[in-house]
Amino acid sequence: MSTTAAPETGTNLNIKVKHLTRVEGHGNIVVNMKEGVLEKAQLEIVEAPRYFEAMLKGRSFHEAAIITSRICGICSLGHQITSLKATEQALGLEVSEQTVLLRKLLIHGATMQSNILHAYFLAAPDFLKVGSVFPLVETHPEIVIRALRMKRLANDIGDVVSGRAVHPITPVPGGFTRIPTTGELMELKRRLAEDMYPDLLATVETLKALAGAIPQFERETEYISLRSDDDYAMYDGDICSTDTGRVPDSEYMKMSNEFVVPHSTSKHAKVNRSSFMVGALARWNNNHDRLGELAHTAADALGLKPGCCNPYMNTIAQVVEAAHCAIDSIAIIDKLLGDGLKEELPNQDPTQYGTGIGATEVPRGILYHEYTYDRQGRVIAANCIIPTGQNLANIDDDMKKLVPEIIDKSKEEITLHLEMLVRAYDPCISCSVHMLDVDFIE
Amino acid sequence: MKIIAVGNSFYGDDGVGAAVLDRIRQYDVFPDAELIDVHTDALALLDHMARGEKNVVVDAAQMGLEPGTAVGFRPSEVRLKIKSDHLSMHGFGLAEAFDLAAQLDRMPADVLIVGVEPVRVEINKGLSDEVNRAVPRVISIIQAEVQSDG
Repeated sequence: MSTTAAPETGTNLNIKVKHLTRVEGHGNIVVNMKEGVLEKAQLEIVEAPRYFEAMLKGRSFHEAAIITSRICGICSLGHQITSLKATEQALGLEVSEQTVLLRKLLIHGATMQSNILHAYFLAAPDFLKVGSVFPLVETHPEIVIRALRMKRLANDIGDVVSGRAVHPITPVPGGFTRIPTTGELMELKRRLAEDMYPDLLATVETLKALAGAIPQFERETEYISLRSDDDYAMYDGDICSTDTGRVPDSEYMKMSNEFVVPHSTSKHAKVNRSSFMVGALARWNNNHDRLGELAHTAADALGLKPGCCNPYMNTIAQVVEAAHCAIDSIAIIDKLLGDGLKEELPNQDPTQYGTGIGATEVPRGILYHEYTYDRQGRVIAANCIIPTGQNLANIDDDMKKLVPEIIDKSKEEITLHLEMLVRAYDPCISCSVHMLDVDFIE
Repeated sequence: MKIIAVGNSFYGDDGVGAAVLDRIRQYDVFPDAELIDVHTDALALLDHMARGEKNVVVDAAQMGLEPGTAVGFRPSEVRLKIKSDHLSMHGFGLAEAFDLAAQLDRMPADVLIVGVEPVRVEINKGLSDEVNRAVPRVISIIQAEVQSDG
């Protein structure tokens, strides 16, 4: 824990980081200290709100997951699965064990991809004090190549199981329109064991060498994630707070309590305190006892301990989770192949028309979708609560504690610490648009 | 040949790549081509572009031209702006992907980019009329590219 002395009376500090880099979407960091008194320390969200919910109204239950999955490029799988769960609960559609296993495999692929990319491409440049991943290509090409190899395998899990990596198409309400072949799953298993496993060990070694660059900052925080009796909860579970324990996912509104603040176009959230954190560190703190040997070995090597309240360690928790996802993916494939793959039609015969909730752990934390359907199977009300929105108040609270602790550092160092803090949360402020800016060479 | 679309079809004209692939499929214009939509994951270009093959990449591109204009060009013919401030998991764009591919010596020799100048890039608006009309033009550019090889 940092023990920097209290700021001297008279300290003035003004920091404004406009459009913070290496996070998704547009956010500004604003810190203002006047004569030793912190007046403002916050992440401003300036992105226009996107009104998913309005887009869903009137759409059929076949379309809801397709629409939500396309709103965000990399979070698409998480939206898709969460949406399917909400729809299935609302319409009383049971799914098979095989469907659940395939969906868990998809979530592992998406989590590995997201966590690995964040650790290597977005966070590691900070640890190495270079501005982006590009200098790393020259100095550490083998690390970049490893990261890309890991990302590709994680992507390929999505391609094999869902039809395509970024916007999955075969998962539909009630099941899958196509399932992978035995050969495809065996090949994934081989690559997970022969390629991903050594790459994960190498990742831990690389990060171990950089762990000294992770700021030592702690703040007592409420952590909220799913928790299940059966596994490290990603696909399903109760909502669990480190402050108050478990409640069923039907109480999600109480556990996400959104409110509006003037400096953000995204809503903030609070439960038992002024803020809480979701994401890999929250999952680790709630569910470390559900992790296997490789994940614990990685956590030990990287100094991640249960009850960790250093938000910068979220990146480390992501790597630990990637290890879990790889090993558990092998176990899931073994189970699927052991049981024998069954060609099944998706169960799309509603037994009721009502309201359903989906709660899933996506890379950045718990994602909630809630839909109400009319008797024609059309959406009449929808609500989506996004993990980054749940984290925003917590980021502000971290900044308010952090700034006075590091006030003796230079303005550049303080700014870097604040930028790294926001990046550690891996925020997805919006999904970006791929626009190519081109100058023709005369 | 690989024809790779980049972009989010729920963001107006950013969906031009996906629309081109749909049209190619609909009329089976290039039966031997592998059609790949990497959506917003431009980094996946590194996984899909192949040496010894023709690689065509279709994306919305701000070129300062009339909206709806479609242009085919080589990566060496243009300066793709590296938008480091968009460098994030989602925002890892075409320019960054090409730059990484080149630095890692993975850039195939035969790459054609077909850029279409967008009218609007807003959530859930569908293609503008101008960009919709550019879809056949994109396909002609790809056909000319195929024929140029005899």
